[in-house]
Amino acid sequence: MENSLSGKTYVVTGATSGIGLAAAEILARHGAGVIGIGRSEERCRGTEKRLRAINPDAAIEYLVADLAVQEQVRSLAGKIKELLAARDQGVLDGLANVAGTFTYWLALTPDGFETQWAVNHLAPFLLTHELLALLQAAPAARVVTVSSDSHYGGRMQWEDPQLRRHYNGLRAYENTKLANVLFTQELNRRLEPHSGVRAFAADPGLVKTEIGFKGTPAVVRWVWNLRRAGGISAEESARGVIFLLTEPSIHSSPEIYWKHGKPKPASRLALDREAAARLWSISEQMCGIRGED
Amino acid sequence: MAELIQTKRGSGRQSLAAISGATGGLGKAFAVECASRGWDLFLTDLNPEALETLAGGLRNTYGVNVLTHVCDLTDPASRAALFERARSDRLRFWALVNVAGVDYEGPFYEQTRQQIRTIIRLNVEGTLEMTHGLLEYRDPLVPFRIINVASLAAFYPMPVKATYAASKRFLLDFSLALREEVRELGATVTVLCPAGLPTTRECVQAIEAQGWMGQVTTQNIGTVANDTLNCALAGRAVCIPGLANRALQLLGSLAPVPLVVSLISSRWKSAREKRGRGRQEAVLEGAG
Repeated sequence: MENSLSGKTYVVTGATSGIGLAAAEILARHGAGVIGIGRSEERCRGTEKRLRAINPDAAIEYLVADLAVQEQVRSLAGKIKELLAARDQGVLDGLANVAGTFTYWLALTPDGFETQWAVNHLAPFLLTHELLALLQAAPAARVVTVSSDSHYGGRMQWEDPQLRRHYNGLRAYENTKLANVLFTQELNRRLEPHSGVRAFAADPGLVKTEIGFKGTPAVVRWVWNLRRAGGISAEESARGVIFLLTEPSIHSSPEIYWKHGKPKPASRLALDREAAARLWSISEQMCGIRGED
Repeated sequence: MAELIQTKRGSGRQSLAAISGATGGLGKAFAVECASRGWDLFLTDLNPEALETLAGGLRNTYGVNVLTHVCDLTDPASRAALFERARSDRLRFWALVNVAGVDYEGPFYEQTRQQIRTIIRLNVEGTLEMTHGLLEYRDPLVPFRIINVASLAAFYPMPVKATYAASKRFLLDFSLALREEVRELGATVTVLCPAGLPTTRECVQAIEAQGWMGQVTTQNIGTVANDTLNCALAGRAVCIPGLANRALQLLGSLAPVPLVVSLISSRWKSAREKRGRGRQEAVLEGAG
């Protein structure tokens, strides 16, 4: 096992199952420091133990946070800073926003947001905001957000972006995945030209994960069971995420949407600059961040 | 509505929409929907942390004023403290959404007496006192809108939910009568009668256990909150969200009551069989 990523540290959300877990495993195998985020204390401790066993040279640490709750996202960022400070390390080489969720019925988070909007979009937005100084301190850092080809079906509805009034779980999902690409686009625009931080959106492909089984009705579980049978493994998909997180040659690439290590055109709506700026400003408002401009 | 907001803003002082049980599933949906319409809010619930978390999100996102008040609506002293605050802080209200309610599933004889008392105290006593109390502090300049959350269960006697359904029937009849009484005060009363709402894991399981019936009768809470507020602003008496539910209610009203009751009974019993017996979870609609 070559420790080709030793000395680097990455934060991976959703790191106790599916693509996030597979990504954390790959990073650990290559000797990177991994800060994995999960919702369950038990799964976090279990995964932490397993990854440490895979590569004793890699610094593996798991932190528990429910990304549906903004307060927990903020305190998570605080814990990450403390953790890095304790290691005498003031930089972060990458953030992989992998955690995602699907909800069939409209459910509101404690802050009053639609759950998919909160977990799939606002959490990456806020966590990136909170960790940006650490990322900017690295010579070259990445923010990789896992979107999906579902984003091609997304249509932002600005008068009700969370689709509260006319909720449809799948349409809401598509919109959050569209938001991931818009966020990535606007983040790059704001960081340029002299930033060492680059943002990419990853299309994970159709992956055999549990996402369609968590708290969904029988019919959704049945459809997901059929669909995912044709899917690729989480590890195969995670390689695409790791590529975006670590590959030096793409740092100044103008491409923002990638599938399995290759650029791919995102939807026309995902590349709309005005929409990206608008989404950014409502997201700041929703997270209680005062805009700089 | 435009006129109403104008008057509210124009009067130069804050006029509030109050929501009880504000951090539960449906209460939160009402709070978010009201805030998104630019209304200043007075939220009450049992849980102080949950109230503050929600209030923070609403202030950030919608830029409205949100006051919070921790209250146990089953407790007369706690209710009195709420009214005392309204008096001393000179609060004025133009809307009240009584969401707080509770059910403990299971046959009457399997419930504890404490549980039965809590259902009556919260669903009936709490709702009535909130309505009475806030009518006193209503904004005289605008129509006062009252929304009471009953249930589709209000229309029929309901085995396995006997006390709960009867408490909701109480609210239905009370609301319809009060509506006529308060007309001269410029107030309206709208009673919401939703089918089961997918607000908690237990509720979702209960909907699942009903099979396709669960699917067609279930409405998203965001839609329910939006429709209900529109009903209230239009001064409508009863709001039943969802076409299937309106059809069910109509059918039920045509059939003889004993027949409906025995149908409901067999449906609930088979749903309970599927979910496993003997479970005693509180199905909270927001406790405070």
